Amino acid sequence: MAGERTRQAQQRNRRNGSRFPGTASPPAGSSGEHEELAVGRRGFLKAAGFGLMLAGCRQAPLEKAIPFLIPPEEIVPGRSLYYASTCTACPAACGLLAKTRDGRPIKLEGNPAHPLSRGALCALGQASILGLYDKWRPRNPRHQGQDTSWEQIDAQIMERLEGLRRGGGALRLLTGTLNSPALEAVVKRFLAGFPDARRISYDPVSRSAILDAHLQTHGKRVLPRYRFDRAEVILSFDADFLGTWISPVEHTAGYREARSPDVETPRRCYHVQVESRLSLTGSKADRRIVAAPHEHGPLAVQLAAALADLAGESFPGEVQRNEGLAQRVEPLARMLWRARRRSLVVSGSPDPAFQTACNYLNELLGNYGRTLELGPASRQREGDDGALAGLLEELGRGEVGALLVWGVDPVFELPLEGRWETLLEQVPLMISLDDRLTETCGLADYFCPDHHYLESWGDREPVEGVLSLLQPCIEPLGRTRPLIESLSAWMGDSRPAYELLREHWRSALFPRQRQETSFDAFWDRALHDGVAQIEPESRSFSEARFEPRMFGDGSREVSPAEGEFSLVLYPKVGILDGRHADNPWLQELPDPISKATWGNYACLAPLAAEAIGVREGDLIRLGAVAGQGPELELPVLVQPGQHERVVAVALGYGGKATRRFAGIGPRWLEAGETVGNDGRVGVNSAPFIRLQARHLVYSGVPVRLSPTGERRQLARTQLYDAITVPASLALPGGERRPAVKEVTWEELFDPHLPVEPGTHSEHGSSQDLWPDDHPYTGRRWAMTIDLDACTGCSACVIACQVENNIPVVGRDEVRRQREMHWLRIDRYYWGQGENLRVAHQPMPCQHCQNAPCETVCPVLATVHSAEGLNQQVYNRCVGTRYCANNCPYKVRRFNWFDYAHEDELENLVLNPDVTVRSRGVMEKCSFCVQRIQEAKIEAKRRGVELRDGEIQSACQQTCPASAIVFGNINDAGSRVAQLAQSARHYRVLEELNVKPAVAYLKLVSRPDPQEEGHG
Amino acid sequence: MANPAVSLREPLIAGRKTSAQVSRDICAVLDRRPTALWWSAFLLALSTLLLGVAAVGYQISVGIGTWGLNRTVGWAFDITNFVFWVGIGHAGTLISAVLFLLRQPWRTSVNRSAEAMTIFAVICAGLFPVIHMGRPWLAFWMIPYPNWRGPLWINFRSPLVWDFFAILTYFTISLVFWYVGLVPDLATIRDRTAPGLRRRLLSFLSLGWDGSQRTWQRYETVYKLLAGLATPLVISVHTIVSWDFATSLIPGWHTTLLPPYFVAGAIFSGMSMVLTLMIVARKVMRLEDYITRQHIDKMCKVTLATGLMVGFAYVIEFFTALYSGNQYEQFVFVNRALGPFWWSYWIMVGCNVAIPQLFWLRRVRRTVWAVLVISIVINVGMWFERFVIIVTSLHRDFLPAAWSSYAPTWIEIATLAGSFGLFFTCFLLFCRFVPVIAISEVKGVLSVGRQFDEPLPPPAGARPLRAVPAAAGAVAQTEATQ
Repeated sequence: MAGERTRQAQQRNRRNGSRFPGTASPPAGSSGEHEELAVGRRGFLKAAGFGLMLAGCRQAPLEKAIPFLIPPEEIVPGRSLYYASTCTACPAACGLLAKTRDGRPIKLEGNPAHPLSRGALCALGQASILGLYDKWRPRNPRHQGQDTSWEQIDAQIMERLEGLRRGGGALRLLTGTLNSPALEAVVKRFLAGFPDARRISYDPVSRSAILDAHLQTHGKRVLPRYRFDRAEVILSFDADFLGTWISPVEHTAGYREARSPDVETPRRCYHVQVESRLSLTGSKADRRIVAAPHEHGPLAVQLAAALADLAGESFPGEVQRNEGLAQRVEPLARMLWRARRRSLVVSGSPDPAFQTACNYLNELLGNYGRTLELGPASRQREGDDGALAGLLEELGRGEVGALLVWGVDPVFELPLEGRWETLLEQVPLMISLDDRLTETCGLADYFCPDHHYLESWGDREPVEGVLSLLQPCIEPLGRTRPLIESLSAWMGDSRPAYELLREHWRSALFPRQRQETSFDAFWDRALHDGVAQIEPESRSFSEARFEPRMFGDGSREVSPAEGEFSLVLYPKVGILDGRHADNPWLQELPDPISKATWGNYACLAPLAAEAIGVREGDLIRLGAVAGQGPELELPVLVQPGQHERVVAVALGYGGKATRRFAGIGPRWLEAGETVGNDGRVGVNSAPFIRLQARHLVYSGVPVRLSPTGERRQLARTQLYDAITVPASLALPGGERRPAVKEVTWEELFDPHLPVEPGTHSEHGSSQDLWPDDHPYTGRRWAMTIDLDACTGCSACVIACQVENNIPVVGRDEVRRQREMHWLRIDRYYWGQGENLRVAHQPMPCQHCQNAPCETVCPVLATVHSAEGLNQQVYNRCVGTRYCANNCPYKVRRFNWFDYAHEDELENLVLNPDVTVRSRGVMEKCSFCVQRIQEAKIEAKRRGVELRDGEIQSACQQTCPASAIVFGNINDAGSRVAQLAQSARHYRVLEELNVKPAVAYLKLVSRPDPQEEGHG
Repeated sequence: MANPAVSLREPLIAGRKTSAQVSRDICAVLDRRPTALWWSAFLLALSTLLLGVAAVGYQISVGIGTWGLNRTVGWAFDITNFVFWVGIGHAGTLISAVLFLLRQPWRTSVNRSAEAMTIFAVICAGLFPVIHMGRPWLAFWMIPYPNWRGPLWINFRSPLVWDFFAILTYFTISLVFWYVGLVPDLATIRDRTAPGLRRRLLSFLSLGWDGSQRTWQRYETVYKLLAGLATPLVISVHTIVSWDFATSLIPGWHTTLLPPYFVAGAIFSGMSMVLTLMIVARKVMRLEDYITRQHIDKMCKVTLATGLMVGFAYVIEFFTALYSGNQYEQFVFVNRALGPFWWSYWIMVGCNVAIPQLFWLRRVRRTVWAVLVISIVINVGMWFERFVIIVTSLHRDFLPAAWSSYAPTWIEIATLAGSFGLFFTCFLLFCRFVPVIAISEVKGVLSVGRQFDEPLPPPAGARPLRAVPAAAGAVAQTEATQ
């Protein structure tokens, strides 16, 4: 019977024009009817999955084609369906719309209805779709490393849990942040069935100190919801809130709102960043204060004291008067005080004492309830380092009878000198419930793999009262089972996740909303929108109180001795804690600051590198100062803007999961390896994380650096960092390249200054050798990119990669400057030390009107469309590369090899609207021509005019800062045409008269408000 | 030597040759069995060629990625080699056509091999535009031919298309010109060959040459016409090659200076290659009487003159950049001289400008080994000139974020070596099968500088030959021009 079904499935697929069995499966229903159809679809998918395995063994494929007698509901070949769901790539829980085609998700877009992420998604979220089609993902439950069936594994686990229950042993469930109401309810029920059961959660990049500090000062362990959109002065102590801190997409949107010069009443938020390394957030700061980790505490305390003076209160903590420091913080304090109730102090420190100081500052400034809210609070991090420390103690004492692990990988993320491995081996029953094969899974007795989130039902509550639903967009590809079902199954409840979820919503969440009267209507709307707002649980907070002991003694961070460096471990954009380090897109995503890919490195300030005599690519050994500590060997990256006594290393690399990249990239005579000598990408720096005073500490460890004399060249996509040419090669006046232009806030809004009109350059374009024979009477597509808004977060780069089937080329090819990204973000530095300025300049194809690439192509493989698009005709291209040479923006990408598309499962993510390019042809940004066509056809079909904003390029759609605007510049009402009138409007290399269709809005420099004289 | 006229003009051909001796001397090589020296040179050239074939085969089967190119530097060794070989080819046309029209009798000793060199160099050059393509099997798409791929046509605005036509024209004319010049000599060999297959083949190739007045007349008319046709090509081919760069907008490429600069450079490099080859050939093939120090001296002068033009262009490039006030242009030139590829720039200047100044000295021009060394140095320098123009302009252009570097892979180096292998294989075969000196033409200039020769006794055992050496017309013409 199964064979019969398989054949049918394959025949249907062939009929559908799909190479892949299983791809024609319809997505699970977007509403309640899912259940009625579930049997048919599930059976179908089962058979299809089985067929996938058989496909390799089969000798001669069946050639009969049988049409669909009953076509899958809703599916029209070639048309996309969008399902609202929630991203779980990190606990920020942004809303997304999964674009599915022929029953398979192919792209994730931000959900505009989501109140937090507002239609945007970060690089991680964009890339997380690839995890669905990961062939390394576990497909079956496992017992002692052997595949088994759910029936068997359930029976065994239930028996052992029963034994535990009767024996009164302790059960611990170790999770990451689990902000899912339905899941929490089931977990609670599950744990209640045991005499001694508890859930312990931790975040690999811990924010526990913020919650702990609020427990001390406000009486509740909560994470405030930060409202950057309401701030007028932001002071951040090492909080990379635009890149990796808590909820970057939400923060970026808010940050941009607070700093937008383009709205009716322009908002000028001033941002001060105190940090030891150059973070993404620091790169956008109006003022950076470069301070080593041990200097942050005294700075904050001095600032608190200074503000207390201004407020006429007495600072409860201990302050040692430091005149130098006091002078430094004085203007900062005054600035904050002027902006009280509209300012915001945030900190990335894992030290509760430090966070207490921040709470004090925010309390003093009256920011609570305004720029940071405790009710409704954020639930995006809940990890408790203290509880983790408690668990370790329990494990050490051998008190834990059963340990269930979900969503975290302590063996990799927090090795703590290998303690986990020894401790976990002693646990009598260990069950791993993760959706991927983590290093911790290897130690588990039972492995009960979870679904990928795009296969799951679920919910998230990122902020109290904001519910975000997850719905499956495809039938599970393997025999996996979601956590919620596993836990219920072990309680003897075999209901599917869908029912468990609905049940919880009906009973617990529906009563807390007011819009809908019937549950079904409420459910359907939530499912359609992806989000629902309900009354947050009411909470009361005690009056903030601050006691001297809360502020600590300031001795936590030690200053490194002479010749030593202070180690700073940081989560990197895209990689974070390493959970997604198995994603090739994220590995190949250039770091927004260093532009390095495939691996981590030791960032050193230029002076520091000079002092120890190393340059980029030299391997150095990084060892703990005190005796037997961990030791790492890393290549050096010289990072301007970093503190001289700091060495910064990214977390999340060097995991076992990266061994899969051993063969990635083209294989040829001189090809280099993507993985290092140990077979992994990068080096795991987590051994340097310490659990100190029941808190995870990531920075401040003093280390010694010793050059090894060896080299490992970094794979960076940008080799020259400055906007100025090398001083030794510059003629006077020619030092700085005008690619990035800047305007001060005053120039922008001073009515006395002549407004430099947009679109006109100093080089008049009145004389033109080109015949004006392309009038573009109809539409003309154009793009405007706001350099001031762009944070460099690189979400657009991945969005473009997913949308346009851009291949991953591997470390060696990137090292050879052959990355394929159609959209690159140029990052430029100028200035020195604390005055270092950074610009992020997204650089897609500029779609020049007088395109230099077009004239030189001998075979007319690149031509202009009537709507102003510069089009690349892949099948006409013979690959002379003349076009790329003649492109002044160097945005063209060449297929140097036949890039791998052999992974049939991974190929399911390919966008069927975009050609997969073969070897030897040129490619480049197409302005997402497939989206333009889709929208045009749809408008034509409906007989309506195409409206501005209906077409969004992939990069624009996902941009958290809304920095990219795309539209028809011939339509005077379009946003892109309006922005062309902006005083900030300019085009890069305008003097070449290539007339690019992409324009930029100038960077705005916001001088210190102190200097305005109203202080 | 007391006669003043003798000291005014040295004989072009030394050794007081008679016409019969000329035929014997030049054909001697063809009659001998190949020497061990020839075999070793041939095997070396052939194995280098095979190395190149392997490299190109590998590159075509795996991808252009096996070269060291990247997103910023899209051309490097490939187009450098192309321009280099096209340049080498230029001396042939110059010597055979331009000097013919200018009635320079000294050309007769070197024109045959210079033309052969041209053809082989153009073959080498023509390979690169094909193999540098991402999909070389579609190279025929460059040809405007009626096709069924929809209304697909080529882009006549693209310099690469012009290039295609220029190279093809050049190759065709060069080949025809060379072959037409070869016809009387083929007849000479035919007449020296015993009946058999070889003779039949030569009969066919010599197009029924009978040495009659009429044949000679037609031959000379065709030759003169072809020379007239070929002359503009000396200017046009390299001008068009330079347009590949000049019509682009990359700083360092986008300049009106390039056409004359390229033409001068091409003749410069071609002459030096002729010198290299001829100096070796005259020694190995014992043709010192035919290619005398006087010939070498004259070619050195041409080399020096074109070298000065090239040097002048180097200076003017900097001046133009400085005067333009264009920061990109200025940067490119400073970057060439002082940037990461400074060494290639200074190799270029050293080899092409500094060292050739030694040719001002008559002693150097007449010291054969010195000329050989200098000519090789110039060849190296001219290769680097193209490398400098292509790579240093591309690697750091407008946007600093896109700046990159370049290093060749072994595949590229093997491909370059292979092109030399191809060239020398062809040239060595040419030396074996075709008279390296135009017998008939040399006979025509035997009398130059020999008006006051003592009469020689008639050669003792000379067999009368059917092909009359040096037809009366050719002699008269040569003398009339003096």
